[in-house]
Amino acid sequence: MLTGLASASLQPAAPASPQQLIRRVSLDLTGLPPTPADIDAFVKDRSPDALERLIDRLLASSHYGERWARHWLDLVRYAESDGFEHDALRPHSWRYRDYVIRAFNDDKPYDRFIEEQLAGDELWPDEPDAIIATAFNLLGPDMVDSADQIQRRLNTLNDAVDTTASVFLGLTLGCARCHNHKFEPFTQQDYYSLQAFYASARFERELPVPSPAQRAAHDAAMISYREKAGSTQSQLDALEAPHRVRVHEQKLASLSEDARLAHRTPKEKRTMEQEGTVQETAPSLKISEGELADALAPAERSRRKELIDILKKISKPAALPTTMALQTVPGKHAKTFVLTRGDYNNPAEEAPPGFPAILSGASNRVAPASVMPQRATLARWIASADNPLTARVMVNRIWQHHFGRGLVTTPSDFGVRGARPANAALLDWLAVQFAKQGWSVKAMHKLMLMSATYQQSTTPRPESLVRDPENILFSRQNRVRLEGEAIRDSLLAISGRLNPSMGGPPVAPSFASDSTGGSKTGSQILKGADPTRRSIYILARRNLRFPFLEVFDAPDNNLTCPERGHGTTAPQSLTLLNSDEVMDAARATAQRLLTESLSVEARIHRAFRLIIGRGPTSQEMSITQDFLKSSDDSLAEAPPRATGGAKKKTLSSTDSAAAWTELCRALFNLNAFVYVE
Amino acid sequence: MWNKDMSGCPGPSGPQPGASSRRDFLRHAGGGFGLLALASLLDADSLLAASPPISAAASPANLLHQRPPHFSARARNVIFLFMSGGPSHVDLFDPKPDLIRLAGQPIPESFGTFKTRRNVAKNKLLPPLRPFRAHGQSGIEVSDFFPNIASCVDDLCVLRGCHGDSVTHPESVYLMNTGSILMGRASLGAWATYGLGTENQNLPSFVVLPDPAGWPKGGAPAWGNGYLPATFQGTLLRGGASPILDLNTPRGISPGQQRATVEFINKLNRSQLRPGDETSELAARIAAYELAFRMQSCAPDIVDLAHESEATRRLYGMDNKTTAEFGARCLLARRLTEAGVRFVQVYCGDTNGWDGHSRMEENHSRLCAQSDLPIAGLLKDLKARGLLDSTLVIWGGEFGRMPMSEGSDGRDHNPHGFCMWLAGGGIKGGQVIGATDAVGLRAAEEKTHVHDIHATILHLLGFDHERLTFRHNGRDERLTDVAGNVISKALG
Repeated sequence: MLTGLASASLQPAAPASPQQLIRRVSLDLTGLPPTPADIDAFVKDRSPDALERLIDRLLASSHYGERWARHWLDLVRYAESDGFEHDALRPHSWRYRDYVIRAFNDDKPYDRFIEEQLAGDELWPDEPDAIIATAFNLLGPDMVDSADQIQRRLNTLNDAVDTTASVFLGLTLGCARCHNHKFEPFTQQDYYSLQAFYASARFERELPVPSPAQRAAHDAAMISYREKAGSTQSQLDALEAPHRVRVHEQKLASLSEDARLAHRTPKEKRTMEQEGTVQETAPSLKISEGELADALAPAERSRRKELIDILKKISKPAALPTTMALQTVPGKHAKTFVLTRGDYNNPAEEAPPGFPAILSGASNRVAPASVMPQRATLARWIASADNPLTARVMVNRIWQHHFGRGLVTTPSDFGVRGARPANAALLDWLAVQFAKQGWSVKAMHKLMLMSATYQQSTTPRPESLVRDPENILFSRQNRVRLEGEAIRDSLLAISGRLNPSMGGPPVAPSFASDSTGGSKTGSQILKGADPTRRSIYILARRNLRFPFLEVFDAPDNNLTCPERGHGTTAPQSLTLLNSDEVMDAARATAQRLLTESLSVEARIHRAFRLIIGRGPTSQEMSITQDFLKSSDDSLAEAPPRATGGAKKKTLSSTDSAAAWTELCRALFNLNAFVYVE
Repeated sequence: MWNKDMSGCPGPSGPQPGASSRRDFLRHAGGGFGLLALASLLDADSLLAASPPISAAASPANLLHQRPPHFSARARNVIFLFMSGGPSHVDLFDPKPDLIRLAGQPIPESFGTFKTRRNVAKNKLLPPLRPFRAHGQSGIEVSDFFPNIASCVDDLCVLRGCHGDSVTHPESVYLMNTGSILMGRASLGAWATYGLGTENQNLPSFVVLPDPAGWPKGGAPAWGNGYLPATFQGTLLRGGASPILDLNTPRGISPGQQRATVEFINKLNRSQLRPGDETSELAARIAAYELAFRMQSCAPDIVDLAHESEATRRLYGMDNKTTAEFGARCLLARRLTEAGVRFVQVYCGDTNGWDGHSRMEENHSRLCAQSDLPIAGLLKDLKARGLLDSTLVIWGGEFGRMPMSEGSDGRDHNPHGFCMWLAGGGIKGGQVIGATDAVGLRAAEEKTHVHDIHATILHLLGFDHERLTFRHNGRDERLTDVAGNVISKALG
């Protein structure tokens, strides 16, 4: 870096102040701001290893995984619903999210992380996490009720291959699906050879993944359950069975002849087209509770209720953990063909599994058959120190999140149309270090964070504004806007309301009906979910993004997103001024301030430190005092319900909750809150 | 600092920043609505010549480098009346005498095989539900379902040879809105905004007015930004006191207090700027707060239809229960257009909408009654105000419907042939382009794929659809992907 600067006759910027540095490092690594006590301790600590200890502490915090998993989830188009018309929830996708959080917190070696996601089922079939990881391939949108199930499978395969190439290799392979790539040295043959690795994969939407202990406990519990409930259950089944058959036949009769035939054909004998028809029409054959009840005679209905009541009293063993996953169909080697213009009706020559010629040398391109299961071969090839792209792409992504911009500014495009690296030697060196240090992501964070380049101030020297206006040479640190998640999580943390519990099914805080009115999706938002969990746990629906996050450029999760937008818009200002999230945080923060008996000045000082990580300048102090005073007068005139219950007679700027709430609301809108210096 | 008209609401002809202050204004304008306006405010010359592509993470400074239209635009604004669910071309705008003649018989074998959603291919042909009549100077035939729209037929360019790619709703909704049957591509309105920016300082540039009874199948991605910066996505606008999310000041805080708080925020933010920050995001945020405050006072005014005369309200059918709701949204579309909103999309029909799988008679009678008068009112009102020349009005759904019946009285989806119309904004009215086959199954003559319609819309807005691109993960993405031909016959 210094060489680059020297060639432009530039010096690096001055080091950031300790206050700036701790806020920067904390938000970078955990997505949460440091507390005033953390700041004091760090500022006072003059020992040479103070920063290193801070970094170690933050990397050891479980909040680190929650922060960095979010970056990964952007890349892998993670969402918790199918999209398209019904946007049905995927009740198990959170297991993949939790897997990613664990992987970062445990510093899972990145090569292993890749192998698990591409072929965990083949390489470690007995490890639940390795199975859960393969959900990576299935996270994209999926039209479950597609009229063309062959195309549906092809869409998923295309999405998996395109995302794999983009996320792990920084390659834009999608163009080669329909024609030889116009700009990159990839042929259509390369594309379908890569896709061929997936040809034998079955797409599981609900695969149980118990640990051996869970499996044993579940089996035992099932035996005991059957002993207690078995006879009641069989009576119930016997009672329902004839009616179910009859209603099923009635429903079947309403389908077309083709569809009836498809349903009557045993699953293993169905053609692909028939299976597609079955998938598509299955929802219309479902028998609802109401339909079943209607089909029963009154006496049967009351008997059925009795039986169900008995069953309800016998506790059923909890369901086994379940995930989306890939599974290889044993002994089945489906062939892949080059598809002319990507159309499955136009297959051309066969494409056996193989790596792109340009990356592997023409002679090595075909993967050795039967040495290893297919996807595992692909996974090992990608997760190899010999792969020229894998390590470079990942260290660049880590750099991107620490410096606001990658060394290669097109983080998922390392091809000929991508940007040239700002410092190729540095990128290479980091990539070598990454593999050398056992693909440890945490070691890579530390290496970058301990560098003088990272620790620079964001304030440019006057000459670097002239000679390096875009900061291509990293002649200063970039100032970055926090993501919506980090803003919302900071609001919760600062106001003392953050629920730190980790993992599990998503939470769906309700939000203003304006944004959801009339949408089918909107009506399904769960009411009453804990609104104080970290943002990574908020239900990620494809057809309805959480508005607070959306306004700050949360991706829509339909395609891989290597870099979020960070535009500045008026709706963002409206959100920070007026939303419930900010008002709730302002109220709670004001309460925090008022519980301590402090002078007005000391309280202002504390408010600044809580919210922007530093005390006010004397100018800020005086502007703020004026604001508090005038707000107090203005809010005193407002109706009492608006002032959070503060009583009119005691209002003064020292204890008016309304005025302090107003101050906190304002401070949450400052650049200094939303940006990291 | 606040100036005295900062909270004023300049209408379409209201005060814009003066020429001398434009560049200063631009420098301080805060992204989104403000920044995007620049292309239309600035002389395009110097900015546009060699501007780099806007990246997904463009800073506001980069967003300043707006592309101008490639050539002089015929349409400044677009109103897209989206008939959600798929209206039936053979019952509305595409007369098929043969369908009457062959009614009750299966479709002749010569038509070959074709995809349907619900296996209706072998069902009996269902005759049109209403007679068709010639209207206007042009003599274009329209069914009796649309007596009022029929009275505007000389302004319409009816495309009878439209076709798409999918027999399902969400895929077709995405195709019509984003040019792809897959989820997550950038929508037409987002592209228009990306290309042109907005004329308006106080409102978003791409506004969506969903049917209050339900969203179209496929939901919000239909007006999404896809890979474009989020700034360009459609903003939902609803009637009533809180038309935009978080537009209202929190309860108990007076407008005066809100203004004082915004001033305080900006004072502190300004005091924290350093040399070199004048063109940074931080400066842009200061302008964004000023814009936000203006939006707070302007948006409720725009959606307040009480300003409109009785005659205008009647023109849109607001005096009648059947037409009042859709009429109000059509009127709102005109007001937004007038206020400089670039692209307005108005949905007609709840989540099922025009999806007449059964009881077509009831379904189409109801939706035609709701929409016929308001749509005609909108066309007439735009024309009377001199806005139709510069406002492109589009009517259509995600597909049409099958000539044969589903059950006894419904029609299945038909993407193989259907009908749309365009009016105003550089369109030559009073003409029909394209035709379906004898029964309306497939587009047959002068066919126009959805990509062609998109290419034409972009053309009217001043863009070569092949050159309006956005680099995403190494590929120059286009609304029209690798297809699309401008329908030159449609241009006036």
